[in-house]
Amino acid sequence: MRLRIVLAVARTTFREFWRSPEAVFWTYGFPLIMAVVLGFAFRPGTLPPVPVVVVEGEQAESIAASLRKNPRLKVEILPEELGDRALARGHTALLLRVQHGEPVLRADPTRPEAEVARLLVERVLRDAHDGPGQVIASEVEDRPGARYIDFLIPGLLGLNLLGAGMWGVGFNLVQMRTQHLLRRLFVTPMRRSEFLIGYLLGRFVLVVPESAAIILFGYVLWGVPLRGSVPALTALVVVGGLAFSGLGCLLATRPRTIEGIAGLMNAFQLPMWLLGGTFFSNEKLEGIVRWAAEAMPLTHLNRGLRDLMLEPGTWADVTWPLFGLSGFACACFLLALRLFRWT
Amino acid sequence: MSGPAREPAIELRSLRKTYKKGKKTTVAVDGLDLVVPRGEVFGLLGPNGAGKTTTVEVCEGLTVPDSGSVSVLGRQWRTGKDQEIRERIGVCLQETKFHEKATVRETLQLFATFYGNGRPVDEVLALVSLHEKADARESTLSGGQRQRLSVATALLGKPELLFLDEPTTGLDPQSRRQLWEVVRSFRAGGGTIVLTTHYMDEAHQLCDHVAIIDHGKVIAQGTPAELIRSLGAEHFLEVDVDDFGDKVQAAELSALPGARACEMTAARAVLTVDSVHVVLPALQHLLSARQVAIVGLATRDATLEDVFVHLTGRHLREDDKP
Repeated sequence: MRLRIVLAVARTTFREFWRSPEAVFWTYGFPLIMAVVLGFAFRPGTLPPVPVVVVEGEQAESIAASLRKNPRLKVEILPEELGDRALARGHTALLLRVQHGEPVLRADPTRPEAEVARLLVERVLRDAHDGPGQVIASEVEDRPGARYIDFLIPGLLGLNLLGAGMWGVGFNLVQMRTQHLLRRLFVTPMRRSEFLIGYLLGRFVLVVPESAAIILFGYVLWGVPLRGSVPALTALVVVGGLAFSGLGCLLATRPRTIEGIAGLMNAFQLPMWLLGGTFFSNEKLEGIVRWAAEAMPLTHLNRGLRDLMLEPGTWADVTWPLFGLSGFACACFLLALRLFRWT
Repeated sequence: MSGPAREPAIELRSLRKTYKKGKKTTVAVDGLDLVVPRGEVFGLLGPNGAGKTTTVEVCEGLTVPDSGSVSVLGRQWRTGKDQEIRERIGVCLQETKFHEKATVRETLQLFATFYGNGRPVDEVLALVSLHEKADARESTLSGGQRQRLSVATALLGKPELLFLDEPTTGLDPQSRRQLWEVVRSFRAGGGTIVLTTHYMDEAHQLCDHVAIIDHGKVIAQGTPAELIRSLGAEHFLEVDVDDFGDKVQAAELSALPGARACEMTAARAVLTVDSVHVVLPALQHLLSARQVAIVGLATRDATLEDVFVHLTGRHLREDDKP
């Protein structure tokens, strides 16, 4: 392998990318903005009240007055028809009507807020009927490292590596193929490996600073901690980025159209978005879905990132993700070298 | 005499290449034989779809033939010599979009790194007259400048053999002539060029030898002058009239003194002639006697286009049809 060629390809690739403000924004700027927006959306704070509807009729006013004493409930009195529609459209979590002098609750139990609403309403009605029950002290978990925002930021970091790696590398390669530039490069003495390594290097150089920016934003804005080994975290970011770049490279080896690569990328990326453990823990999943989640590199990257950011993790704690993702990156890259189509 | 100096630059024997799309098989090259001597500009002429580009791509190592033998500078592709061949050839593909945000100089610097013993970038910039655009981005270049950039990338490795696949298609006359100068200068330096084109004047001006390709086969080969001479006459006399009707027949016109053949439509006749000054008075006399009024008259020299029409009955380009 000739280093001068690898570096020349890397330099050209980076320059082409850096001189395209749109590409820089959508590859790196947008994920950063998304991290901030989602971070604010899920920042620690008071929970919004749960909407419930009391159907007009006997005792409606008195029941509504009792319910309004609980600040977690947002109570509205509506005619039965409007109440049903509000429930069907999801504008209210629960519908309460009085039948034969007794309150009856109606809700869809598969919706999480319906269960919360039912528990809150039952408690108010029981207290009103039997007198105040035992008050159990509760504490709000707001310690850094244990909040949802702390769970989310490492996940967004993983998601950013996924997007930058797959789209940044794969999409552009296919574009070069459609413009016949790959054919032109093929008829030079440059080898496939020199081209692909140089290309990956050129697209990859911004991944580490971008990841550092997300971690910094999380720390400054919401106090998301960084408790583990920084060198191990850096290594995991690099290896994770390489794994997804390798996957992007592999997916881009054959398609001849932009539509082809876009479809292929989405087919691989969407399941990882949903099941890769970014927005919610995938450890609660069961059966084949859990198996699929465990097979995804994003799952292991996110797990490793959380071990190193939220806990005092060391190299030993991320040995498996580091080796697993390195192996995945190498396998993708070697397969891409074998399957790569210049024309 | 033997040795590399006498070895042809390219030797193709019984070359065949087909493409399959679904159940349909298209024969692009059908048993083609070709020898390109060193130190020449060798033209491959033919209409679109004749098999020129496939033939060139096989020579460049871009396309694998179904059968036949291919020798480029005495080496065969896929025998462990690919890198060596690529070091010794320069390629200008029919259509390449270079990195649009890179400047001309940056693009050339990238390609220069691929070759162990390449030419300095500034020398190549001067050779293709792009030095004034050295710092301009590719996206700001005109069609002619882009094409010269493409040729420049092909010249960087000091190639012995240069492939130019329709390098002047769509260019204005000035850009075409600038590229012709590049070709002449490369040939003057001892290089071999394989040029595909469907511009007959370009082939006539530049090529030492041409091979006319149709339906994947070489149907004629020789110097431009030899091919034109093979028509048996070197001039054409084109006559436009109000209407020939039944008054004059093509056979009568081709039987005129000094004429060899005639193609005729209702209001136009094209005569292949040896001597215009002998045919013309006889033609005027005949048409006058048959009361056919001449509305236009022109003479021109025979071209390679006429050779192609003579051989195939078709024109090289659809838009060249009269």
